Amino acid sequence: MSAALAKRRDEARMIFEGRGIPTRRAEEWKYSDLKSALGEAGLGQEAAATRIMGLPQGLEFADLADPNAPAWVSQHLGTLARNAVSEASLAFADGGLALRVPAGQAIAIPLALELSGAGHLRLLLVLEAGASLSLFETGDTAAPRNAGIEIVLGEGAALDHVRLTRPVPGVQVEEIALSLAAKARYSAHFASFGGKLSRLELTIALEGEGAEAHLSGVSVLGGEAHADITTHIIHRKGNTHSTQLFKKVAGGKGRAVYQGRVTVAKGADGADSRQTAKALLLSETAEADLKPELEIFADDVKCAHGAAIGDLDGDSLFYLRARGIPEADARALLIHAFLEDALTNITRDDVRGMVRNAVGHALAALL
Amino acid sequence: MSSPAQLETKAQVAEIGDKYKYGFVTDIEMDMAPKGLSEETVRFISAKKNEPEWMLEWRLAAFRRWLSMKEPKWARVHYPQIDFQDAYYYAAPKNNPLKQSLNEVDPKLLETYNKLGIPLNEQMALAGVAVDAVFDSVSVATTFKEKLNEAGVIFCPFSEAIRDHPDLVKKYLGTVVPVTDNYYATLNSAVFSDGTFVFVPKGVRCPMELSTYFRINASETGQFERTLIIADADSFVSYLEGCTAPKRDENQLHAAVVELVALDHAEIKYSTVQNWYPGDENGKGGIYNFVTKRGDCRGDHSKISWTQVETGSAITWKYPSCILRGDHSVGEFYSIAIANNYQQADTGTKMIHLGANTKSRIISKGISAGKAQNTYRGLVSIYGKAKNARNYTQCDSLLIGGNCGAHTVPYIESRNPTARIEHEATTSKIAEDQLFYCLQRGIPQDEAVSLIVNGFCKEVLQQLPMEFAVEAQKLVGISLEGSVG
Amino acid sequence: MLDIKNLHVTVGGKEILKGLTLSIQPGQVHAIMGPNGSGKSTLSFVLAGRSGYDVTEGSIIYNGEDLKAMATEDRAAKGVFLAMQYPVEIPGVTTMTFLKTALNSQRRKRGESDLDAIGVLKLVRAKAKELNVSEEMLKRALNVGFSGGEKKRLEILQMSIFEPKLAILDETDSGLDIDALRLVAEGVNALRSPERAMLVITHYQRLLDYIVPDRIHVLAKGRIVAEGGKELALELEAKGYEHIVGQAA
Repeated sequence: MSAALAKRRDEARMIFEGRGIPTRRAEEWKYSDLKSALGEAGLGQEAAATRIMGLPQGLEFADLADPNAPAWVSQHLGTLARNAVSEASLAFADGGLALRVPAGQAIAIPLALELSGAGHLRLLLVLEAGASLSLFETGDTAAPRNAGIEIVLGEGAALDHVRLTRPVPGVQVEEIALSLAAKARYSAHFASFGGKLSRLELTIALEGEGAEAHLSGVSVLGGEAHADITTHIIHRKGNTHSTQLFKKVAGGKGRAVYQGRVTVAKGADGADSRQTAKALLLSETAEADLKPELEIFADDVKCAHGAAIGDLDGDSLFYLRARGIPEADARALLIHAFLEDALTNITRDDVRGMVRNAVGHALAALL
Repeated sequence: MSSPAQLETKAQVAEIGDKYKYGFVTDIEMDMAPKGLSEETVRFISAKKNEPEWMLEWRLAAFRRWLSMKEPKWARVHYPQIDFQDAYYYAAPKNNPLKQSLNEVDPKLLETYNKLGIPLNEQMALAGVAVDAVFDSVSVATTFKEKLNEAGVIFCPFSEAIRDHPDLVKKYLGTVVPVTDNYYATLNSAVFSDGTFVFVPKGVRCPMELSTYFRINASETGQFERTLIIADADSFVSYLEGCTAPKRDENQLHAAVVELVALDHAEIKYSTVQNWYPGDENGKGGIYNFVTKRGDCRGDHSKISWTQVETGSAITWKYPSCILRGDHSVGEFYSIAIANNYQQADTGTKMIHLGANTKSRIISKGISAGKAQNTYRGLVSIYGKAKNARNYTQCDSLLIGGNCGAHTVPYIESRNPTARIEHEATTSKIAEDQLFYCLQRGIPQDEAVSLIVNGFCKEVLQQLPMEFAVEAQKLVGISLEGSVG
Repeated sequence: MLDIKNLHVTVGGKEILKGLTLSIQPGQVHAIMGPNGSGKSTLSFVLAGRSGYDVTEGSIIYNGEDLKAMATEDRAAKGVFLAMQYPVEIPGVTTMTFLKTALNSQRRKRGESDLDAIGVLKLVRAKAKELNVSEEMLKRALNVGFSGGEKKRLEILQMSIFEPKLAILDETDSGLDIDALRLVAEGVNALRSPERAMLVITHYQRLLDYIVPDRIHVLAKGRIVAEGGKELALELEAKGYEHIVGQAA
């Protein structure tokens, strides 16, 4: 490990130990009490791993702990948004994986990543100017796991990201920090089925003119599953564009959480941001908490958010039943339809099919 | 068409003219409590008001609690540390036995009202509005008593209610905003000076709009108003609160508490136009307004509606809320918040749905200009038993210029599968083509801004009683003058 | 009435009008025709005083006064009216309120007294009837949810209420079907008078069948490239802009 990285990791450990594991008294963790979900054991100091299923050609990789790691690793590692939990992953991950797509390279085959084992892990992904990649992320059910991922997109780079996770009996936390240069594009879909506590936090900085982020996601939660998606998109420059569409279904004692903050910095004229979060509750004991937040410091912007929590539309239900569809089937049909429009953002047909399958299984268990 | 009173109001508003003209100080001898805050201060206030023992005990309990509390820091407002020991907590005009007619009132006070454009006597005669004018914490004139007496409505200064209606006060005081609720509410509970008490008995529709004009006058005197309005079953009352304050350099703290209780099938409509001194264009001075306003829809089919037009104050920290306890109860919040120059507003509401079939509606219009920061902060929470609860929220922000901020922080929580919540928010600016269109048709710039912003706020302005609506429209324009161009 | 000499105008640093000269007498109706991007709308905005349209050279004299030096709303009070191609929507402001505010703003500027609400109502109602503008339309927010025809009729209604000395009609025919066009044109013709000058800006000859101009100017690339009587419109229609513009170049 390089001296600079060792120093940065010491610093990260101090920050984490100083702040401790957040409780719901911390505003950002209001709906997800990490400390009480983890209990006495806490996050531990073990290291988890990242597995790659077949490295596509053209992709470079390095070990974060390697003292001879190339310059692009030290240049970017640990530089993006931080909080106590992501600092913990940096401090305890014991190295980790670094990946790079060199400038102008378009990787045709999707990169399949699996996060594996309990403990902390760290990942750095760099797409240089004009590079493009499709990333398919999954994870095993080991817990507790704390993943810290940094993604750097150079000018005009394009990353397509789909994250599909299984229901986890324990606690999993993932912090993704992204930085986008001018005209870079990040498009992502997150399908989550929860855990005892499951949290995905994205901090996306649109640092260059014309950068774009398009997020969508579905959650299907039953039993006592909890799934929290927290996003913070920062429009730092003009003509940046972001969209978000999150759909959630919660039954049993499931709890769906969405917190989305959009910040438009002073002078980021022409920024355009849409944000939609909707939840359906299917049982007396399920809960949904939505907090779509706007923080606007520029006047020449288009920003809107919408949020809704409700049950199925009575008219639609009646219409289907009037055509002879039994109520249970009609409800299932409408719930599928409710989630479907968030799936259309997934560009690859094969990946969309996999996500749709997983959603189907989860719904079948719930209905 | 307009009643004489409305025309009168319009004429007054027209005279308000171009600038904030409420910047003057009336020189009246004050009866001050010693500077600073201690049990002694609390006892002094209670003694000054000849309060019974139970009231003093209540205040002292609040004070002791307050000592253990911390100032809340979660709002998006920044201000220098307030030194609570460096303020006066009681000031009353001297020699103040209750007056039977205006002739007995200190002519200097009347002069102050006239400067404010509130000709009390004419207003009473023309508008049919009973005015309980609070001048620096103590009521000086209570009018229209007889007419209200006939209807059985109690409308009096809070201090009088403690003396004359102790059972009602004991029964309801602190039941909506508990003594321990928050830092400023607890402070208010310890040192509240005076305020308004309203009780509308069963089945009575209050025969007139009730209105109180608040005014802060004494230098460095915090204002701690206490308002308690109870609408008994099947009753209705509409209450108007309007505020102006003289121009001052020192920041002045205001921490009012308003409690509303609506019983079965009762309705309370509470309207506010808040136009206190916002500080100058460099951010110097201005009122700190930390208010706790909450209504309890305690009865089935009850309704509480808040309408506010907030144009003044350097700092606004205010969340008029509804606890929808009764089944089929309804809560509404209509708000216009304008922040210009260095003003900071953090305002919104909480709709707590406890009962079945409860409904709430939130319409918030925030306008930011200059270097101001304007935040909407709202909570809609549906509890497990609130079957078929409904909420609709619309939050619109308008930015004027690139140096201000507009923020929206909604919390939406549901624990009932039959409930429906809808929330929408937009952010926009005054479009250049809208301004040009108005200018091309001969409308001067400031008037064009006022017209467009009033259009933006229309849904809220429509909720105000006529007398207030006219004044509010003018204030919207006045508070944004010079903000474009 | 209006005397434009060697007018150069830039928008966002780009020169759009490059030495335009034009003169209109009271009672006359002039038409400006020209292909897209020739500077027609720029001319109308410069005359009305829209910010962002910078006069870099030349003069605009209106009734003996320098128009450039006047604020937008002062031009309006002095009788310059621009019927816009895309009338602007202002949510929450009823059409009636807008008309009253604008009318009284202009009157005040001219040193006249305000018309009271009833006076304005009477005036607007009388004019509205002629233009088939319904009472219901006047109660709706200004231009919000109006059809293309309704918007244009409202522009002409404003023209008849404000009684301008110089009326500029920017592509008033765009987006109108034949019935709506006829209605609007009749409204305009009714306002022709010996004291009033009109500048009709259009891309097509069609409108000029209904509003017959005294003189036609063809604008291309920021300059007047051809002028003539009403027959010029027919020639343009028959041969196209390319022919005339090409000839001039």
